[in-house]
Amino acid sequence: MLSSHAAATLDPMTSGQTVLRATGLVKRYRRTLAVAGVDLAVEPGERVGLLGPNGAGKTTTLMMLLGVVRPDEGVVEIVGHTLPTERSKAMAHVGFAAGYLPLPERLRVREFLTLFAKLYGLSQPGPAVDAALDRFGISHLAANMGNELSSGQRTLVGIVKATLHRPRLLILDEPTASLDPDVAHRVRSGLARICAEDGTALLVTSHNMTEVERLCQRVVFLSGGRVVADGAPDEVAAFFGRDDLEGVFLHLAETESERSR
Amino acid sequence: MSSDLNSSDLNSADLTGRSARSASWLRIRTVARRHAYVLQRAPQRWFDVVFWPVVDAVLFGSLGVYFSRASGTGPKGVALLLAGIILFHVVFQAEVSLATGFMEETWSRNLLNLMVTPLTEAEYVAGVALFGLAKLLMGVGTVSIVALALFAFRITDVGLALIPIIAILVLVGWSIGLIVIGIILRVGQGAEILAWGLIAMVMPLSGVFYPVTALPGVLQPVAAILPTTHAFAAARDVVSGHPLPWDQLALAAIGSVVTAVLAAVFVTRMLRVFRSRGFISRHT
Repeated sequence: MLSSHAAATLDPMTSGQTVLRATGLVKRYRRTLAVAGVDLAVEPGERVGLLGPNGAGKTTTLMMLLGVVRPDEGVVEIVGHTLPTERSKAMAHVGFAAGYLPLPERLRVREFLTLFAKLYGLSQPGPAVDAALDRFGISHLAANMGNELSSGQRTLVGIVKATLHRPRLLILDEPTASLDPDVAHRVRSGLARICAEDGTALLVTSHNMTEVERLCQRVVFLSGGRVVADGAPDEVAAFFGRDDLEGVFLHLAETESERSR
Repeated sequence: MSSDLNSSDLNSADLTGRSARSASWLRIRTVARRHAYVLQRAPQRWFDVVFWPVVDAVLFGSLGVYFSRASGTGPKGVALLLAGIILFHVVFQAEVSLATGFMEETWSRNLLNLMVTPLTEAEYVAGVALFGLAKLLMGVGTVSIVALALFAFRITDVGLALIPIIAILVLVGWSIGLIVIGIILRVGQGAEILAWGLIAMVMPLSGVFYPVTALPGVLQPVAAILPTTHAFAAARDVVSGHPLPWDQLALAAIGSVVTAVLAAVFVTRMLRVFRSRGFISRHT
């Protein structure tokens, strides 16, 4: 396994503490070992891809990092706050969006964003909502009801929601799955800008390896609930003797498939 | 970079004391506001706070008039039935607003969104309960106004004794709501029917309209352990013109506190199971 974590070199939080530190995460669902001892650290400003074929343990790992699923073993620490005892404090630093999550139907986009901004502690959220909508070019959707939006627009609003409070850690699960190439490009640019300007760390899952190569400085591959590679995309590809991440992914998917037979 | 919006600055304010309390209060109000939007835009939700209160007031008021005439008991019978249904709506509205508030998050698949914010479970329940109080005022107000307009029954004539009785019924309503939430966390959305089913069981067992002695003998021990039974018995005494029976009220108060503690322990355990078994996948 590679261990060359691409250290963040981005101002202003480079010297800050590790944003996310997960140690020895294990999760079993009845007889199935979903996650088998994952260690993961993400530094300020880092853009990390958490990758792996279906069943590799990505979603369970993400849910444990977010405090939604309790690990059987291991510890998660976010900006120095340990889960689950300091979950509320930890989550103040985290933004999360997933391509599969809908917007509540009976809310306008601005209302939805305002409510979540307040949950994150912004008592006067108007400017933050306007800035976040503008950052991703969807200010024109502010007055729309959630159920009037296309799938891609809902995903964009979800990402805007996750960035409202300028989190230290942004966790995105398949963020561009339903976006067309133009909008996906806009999202990647917006995310890269947030990471560069605020020193926000990004942890993203995706099945689009080209996108991951464009967005992430570092990738962590899971297979069978374990970390099997961790490093810069080209280093990881070279480690497996493949040309690119797509090749690595297909190789691991094949391995996963053979294991499950 | 507009540093005033960065979470590192937010956190410097959320560490201790007043800022933490004000952030917590902001989150509670935000949850209440979210549910106000739902009520505003979901016409079917008005059934619980307007439609059923009107139906119940007309139904039980009319039954009271009929039986009073048939038995020659006069307006007292009408008063007992209407006071019973008004006070039943206190426990009903408290329970249903809490349970359906949580169910709204599962229907709109918003649970995961909420669980990854700084919102704590206690703040969430407090927010839904806060808005539930507004719904309770609407529902109980509606049934009271209909009782006054159509049957000349004024619930406020019962006097200050209503206050502790209502407080006990609200606490029991919230406790049942928590139990329903706990069951939904454990077994999923299939348990939603209990939001209305459990409270429907409480109605006959608590002797809302009659003394427990009118129940079949086998059910009377069950009724005796329900705090609502003693609260309704106290209310009937007061409506009948007797002084407030403090012994019944004390039993109801103790029972409601015990119920609330048990409900809180139950929902906390169910939440632990929910997190431990990864049941969030049912709601994403």
